[in-house]
Amino acid sequence: MLINILVDTLVTGLPLVPVVLGVFIVLQIRQDFDLTVEGSYAFGGGVAGILIVAGVNPVVAMIAAAAAGFAAGMATTALTLFLRLPVLLAGLVMNMALFSITLRVLGLPTLSLAGMQTIFSAVAPAPGRAADLATSAVLGGIVVLMLAAFAVFLKTEVGLALRASGVNERMVRSQGVSDRGMLILSLGMSNALSAFGGALTIQMQGYADVNMGSGVFVLGAGSVLLGMLFLNPGGSQVVRIVLAVLLGGLVYRLILVAALRFGLPAGDLKAVTALTLIIAVAAQGYLAPAVQRYTVRLRERRTPANSSARARIGASHG
Amino acid sequence: MADPMLELRDVRLVYHRGRVDEVQALRGIDLVVDKGEFVTVVGSNGAGKSSMVQIISGAAKPTTGKVVLERRDVTGWPDYKRAGFVARVFDDPRVGSAPELSIEDNLALALARGKRRTLGFALRGHRRALLRERVARLGLGLEDRMHDRVGLLSAGQRQSLTMIMAGLVAPDVLLLDEHLAALDPATAQRVLGLTAELVAEMDCATVMVTHNMDHALRMGNRLLVMSRGRIIHDVSDDAKSALTVSAVVDLITGVGDVVSDRSLLTELENAE
Repeated sequence: MLINILVDTLVTGLPLVPVVLGVFIVLQIRQDFDLTVEGSYAFGGGVAGILIVAGVNPVVAMIAAAAAGFAAGMATTALTLFLRLPVLLAGLVMNMALFSITLRVLGLPTLSLAGMQTIFSAVAPAPGRAADLATSAVLGGIVVLMLAAFAVFLKTEVGLALRASGVNERMVRSQGVSDRGMLILSLGMSNALSAFGGALTIQMQGYADVNMGSGVFVLGAGSVLLGMLFLNPGGSQVVRIVLAVLLGGLVYRLILVAALRFGLPAGDLKAVTALTLIIAVAAQGYLAPAVQRYTVRLRERRTPANSSARARIGASHG
Repeated sequence: MADPMLELRDVRLVYHRGRVDEVQALRGIDLVVDKGEFVTVVGSNGAGKSSMVQIISGAAKPTTGKVVLERRDVTGWPDYKRAGFVARVFDDPRVGSAPELSIEDNLALALARGKRRTLGFALRGHRRALLRERVARLGLGLEDRMHDRVGLLSAGQRQSLTMIMAGLVAPDVLLLDEHLAALDPATAQRVLGLTAELVAEMDCATVMVTHNMDHALRMGNRLLVMSRGRIIHDVSDDAKSALTVSAVVDLITGVGDVVSDRSLLTELENAE
């Protein structure tokens, strides 16, 4: 039972980690809300699906999906920069438009990939436990590579500017960074990642669906908040950022999978998704300060010399 | 000597133009600051000091007039494009640095000011050493806390760090916008000393806005008195050295302006 839950979590959760990373970039680094990710997730799934059904190499199909997601992000950016719509509203509008576009791309609401050549075909020819493990291994490899590349990016000059831009726009401008450039970069990357996650998902589940994006933003945001709860990454701790994204995504999925396994009907999953986010937010607000106070106390015991100073810091930032 | 770094030509700035609440923030500013000049700016609230800083930094665009930096007309350039020429230290210590990032990351960000940012690592070996050495000069022990979040630092420490950041890439114009206003007197004194040191090294044009008459007199070699969007007095070198706090206050109140309590209180403090 437990093993089943864990394997299910990996197989269904790993394809969502790129989406969580995408949401993290906009939500946590830029401190903004971009709902385009829901649309670009389904859009990426649709583009990859139609290409795979047409016999295109699945890797090429995934790259095309990411490019499609990037384009969707650029459309949202254009709405923000030229029409001065807030990112939230621009994303909402693009999300709606992308539903119709994805439906056009797919031709039908649902597209089956049965019998088609996917990235998992070679390692998981027939369904079963072995296939699930092999699928997880492939997904795990892709996700680890992606997170490592992102960690390296955050340490570059551009990545550093991006990390600072969400927190302190005036400072970043005064250091010569164009905030428009940072908006383009963040929304482009975020939606490309989301579409890439969509392309992974359809290959894992064997079909693309025009509605698959619904609820993805809440799921991503909930995962980010959960991850932050575990690791509380500041802007400097690149490794923690990456781990928070990975852990947050997987634990969020674990909760959903466990709920299913314990007999909850699939229709209730959206409620569980929403409830988990609410609990994560509540925990951020109430549990995190308590945990922080506890860690401060632990540190005090180790270094009694400057305990009072540390306690004051802990209190003011807790 | 005449090597103009910064020129404002008949700069006017009007907010809410044509509306009932129209504000004329600047009414024709003409100013030339040479390389190596250190200008302090005083004036009552609403005199246009901060508006002038906004115009020079590019955060605000003049309604009419021209901004020239090192003989280049930059009137239409946004602030981030001017950052290669202009370094700015804000009045609020929280604006000058990113609290979530470490000391080292903040410095690395400033090290690329005005340059094209690349996909190269922001912190490489020799850069780390350089930044550490610069921070060590502050004498605050921050060089041993390079990985600490800047949000953990005190206001004085943050403002000192911002000063170091401003000097990492030598600017043509250094803008100090009441950068001591949020600090306690002892800290302000220390950051003031640091300011004098850095300005002496950088050899740029420096503009320092302050509410503190004493600082305005002690620092720099030129004093501007502003009132209602105009520069009403421009005192240089020997004439400036001969000025006293009460003389400057007279210059301001002479045109009917009010000197804020803050400036007068510092005057009293110094008299005691």
